[in-house]
Amino acid sequence: MSRKAISLAALAALCVTGLAACGGENDDSKATKKGGATQVAVSMVSGSDGDACELDTDSVAAGPVTFTVKNESAAGLTEVELMDGQKILGEKENLAPGLAEATFTLTLGGGDYEIYCPGATQERVPFKVTGEAAAEPTGDAAELLASGSKDYTTYVRTQIDSMVVGVENLQKAVDSGDLAKAQQAYADARPFYEKIESDVEGFVMDGFDPTDNKGNLDYLIDMRASNLDEAVGWSGFHAVERDLFQAKKITAQTKKYAADLVTNVTKLAEVGKSLEFKPEDLANGAAALLEEVQSGKITGEEEAYSHIDLVDFANNVEGAQQAYAALRPGLEKVDAELVKTIDARFTAVTDDLEGYKDTKSLGGYRPYTAELKASDGKKLSATVQSLQDVLGRLAEKAATA
Amino acid sequence: MSAEPRGFSRRRLIAGAGGGAVVGAAVGFAGGRAASPAQASASDALDLSTAYDFYTGDHQVGIATPPQRHLVFMSLDVVEGTTAEQLKVLFARWSAAMATMMKGDPVGSVEPSRANGVPQDTGEAYDLSPASLTLTLGLGPTLFDDRFGLAGKGPRLLEEIPRLPGDELQAELCGGDLALQACADDPQVAYHAIRGLTRIGRGLVTTRWTVLGFGRASAGKGQKTPRNLMGLKDGTRNIKTDEELDEFVWVTDPDEPAWMRGGSYLVTRKINMDIEVWDGTTVETQHATIGRDKGEGAPLSGEKEFDTPDFKAVRHGEPVIDPTSHVALAASENNGGAKILRRGYNFTDGLNSLGQLDAGLFFIAFQKDPETFVDLQRKLGRVDLLNEYIAHVGSAIFAVPRAPRSGHFLAQELFG
Repeated sequence: MSRKAISLAALAALCVTGLAACGGENDDSKATKKGGATQVAVSMVSGSDGDACELDTDSVAAGPVTFTVKNESAAGLTEVELMDGQKILGEKENLAPGLAEATFTLTLGGGDYEIYCPGATQERVPFKVTGEAAAEPTGDAAELLASGSKDYTTYVRTQIDSMVVGVENLQKAVDSGDLAKAQQAYADARPFYEKIESDVEGFVMDGFDPTDNKGNLDYLIDMRASNLDEAVGWSGFHAVERDLFQAKKITAQTKKYAADLVTNVTKLAEVGKSLEFKPEDLANGAAALLEEVQSGKITGEEEAYSHIDLVDFANNVEGAQQAYAALRPGLEKVDAELVKTIDARFTAVTDDLEGYKDTKSLGGYRPYTAELKASDGKKLSATVQSLQDVLGRLAEKAATA
Repeated sequence: MSAEPRGFSRRRLIAGAGGGAVVGAAVGFAGGRAASPAQASASDALDLSTAYDFYTGDHQVGIATPPQRHLVFMSLDVVEGTTAEQLKVLFARWSAAMATMMKGDPVGSVEPSRANGVPQDTGEAYDLSPASLTLTLGLGPTLFDDRFGLAGKGPRLLEEIPRLPGDELQAELCGGDLALQACADDPQVAYHAIRGLTRIGRGLVTTRWTVLGFGRASAGKGQKTPRNLMGLKDGTRNIKTDEELDEFVWVTDPDEPAWMRGGSYLVTRKINMDIEVWDGTTVETQHATIGRDKGEGAPLSGEKEFDTPDFKAVRHGEPVIDPTSHVALAASENNGGAKILRRGYNFTDGLNSLGQLDAGLFFIAFQKDPETFVDLQRKLGRVDLLNEYIAHVGSAIFAVPRAPRSGHFLAQELFG
């Protein structure tokens, strides 16, 4: 146990005996008040045992509390959070020595809290609030997130229903033997799947082993050459794509692919009726859609024959934006700074995409050719990555609100 | 998760080249005769527990620091629209992260206590020793254009390197708003550091080009002269004393911004070697090209590596050291006494499009006035015999601010 931890433990023990110097119900004189809020100073300092978060008082009376955090010299610490159990009530990030102090104010009811300093020798410092316990202080954030998630469920179902219509149109076009019409129908059907693919990943039909791709709807609908399971064979969107854009021929086999696609998408719509999402599912789903952009679209792997990768890209982004939008009102209460950052990065990505729009191209975006990938892939990847990084932090916020 | 205190590492001591088991088994340069290479000096052994202090308040590490075995160098561009305030926070976070990583500690948690948490540190250097990691920040001339509110705040002598004779520069290997140099005796420690710093910068900076260097190609104080990929000792006459550093490397000009005084100007050149062609040349040609012999590294006018070259020496009516040899052209005697601190690394990028070894020297030089390098290279680029075997394909210049004191960050005064 470090020296600091011992001294805190000793302090805690003393307080049990009710010594006035410890602060608490009878004595909160140690903490000063400013504008009606009790002031608590958190200093991040580097000591001989490592970095530490030090509080000028570890006990205050219930009511508005302002935490002022300053990183004096602790190079290993960047973040401080006020925790109520697993719930993050308030926090400051991007703290580094040399930067100005940061503050956050919360109205706290009586109870045991913790100051959480990731990376410190003692990461969790107990913080006591005396007086009456407040009602759930962030209940409204949690409510907003839950209601947002419910709305999002409707969005996903609508997309799946539209996808059924889209693949039925594709089947009709294929059956008619009109190649150009079928190619157009393919591009029209893709967006629905790309907006929600992270929500339907890994759906395994009843009676199938989870390791058997024959029962995995996502696999059957969206398999690519690179993840082809020999035991299952070709199927789904990209099987149709290969025939329409590489062979440029509609055969009996193409018609069979299109018919199977309709069957599987219809099954997906059936399963989709029972979908329910928790806020962190939306957060994880949004980040996963961006991962899809990085791993499948920027590489040009997804639409290897039709080169409409930028169409998928735009729809992955739109899907992520929808999930984020559903969480946004609640998130704003949890972490307004993060919301601002994510907003700005979504704008950066969508602004970037704007430059690739081309109404004359299939799907409304320029074809993602090898040349375009060589010249623009790096830039696109960097913009998406910076959005993906912040979206990766959403789940934690949503789950702990 | 808090960092474990770092004890005596299992991997602490690794003998340097020429030390330990290598001795005796090695074959000398001359005709297969068994000859022990010179014993490594004590400081050529690697002590992986060595850690440098970031907060020196004086010169940044990674300049006068004896070169470590591995390098990861990255040039970055600041994203359009980034504000000076955002850059300030980035520099503060980078500084803190650099200080932490140089101690061998992770930056934040490797394993967050909450399952929903994304690890702050990627973890691949966890439990590895500090390995003499040094992290050095450089600021490029383009940082001080009018995009980020920094115009007019740059160091006086920070200007793009002009086009030099013989340059075969590729735009994608040149320039950059910022540079991060990581040097360490464990390649993974250096890589982790750059990865972590670029991760902190995502959204504000994008990567422009990078070089992975190995087998340091320049010696520092107390180090045996290393060899470049031509098999030649490189940097025998490098700057090694504090007096020379003061005279040639550290910026002292009172007209420079305060944060630049005690700093230096960093010039990088990516130099491709025609490895296969060089490998097919006779040793006599190799000697004549460089102006030194290969095994000992002695000037052709002398016998021992550190013999002072005699550029006036004549044999059979011909100069012993060709005046267009690399050594003759680069010698301070022939350049008005000018010296630069070289801190280069060998690099390889595998194979080029023709199936040839894609490798060479990532030249790094520090000097108080970039013009010193420009003058030198202007001369070398025109007539150096070595030019037949090399091509300069990348070029960049960065201002290296002085190091902050504890509680501060790099170039803090820039944002005052």
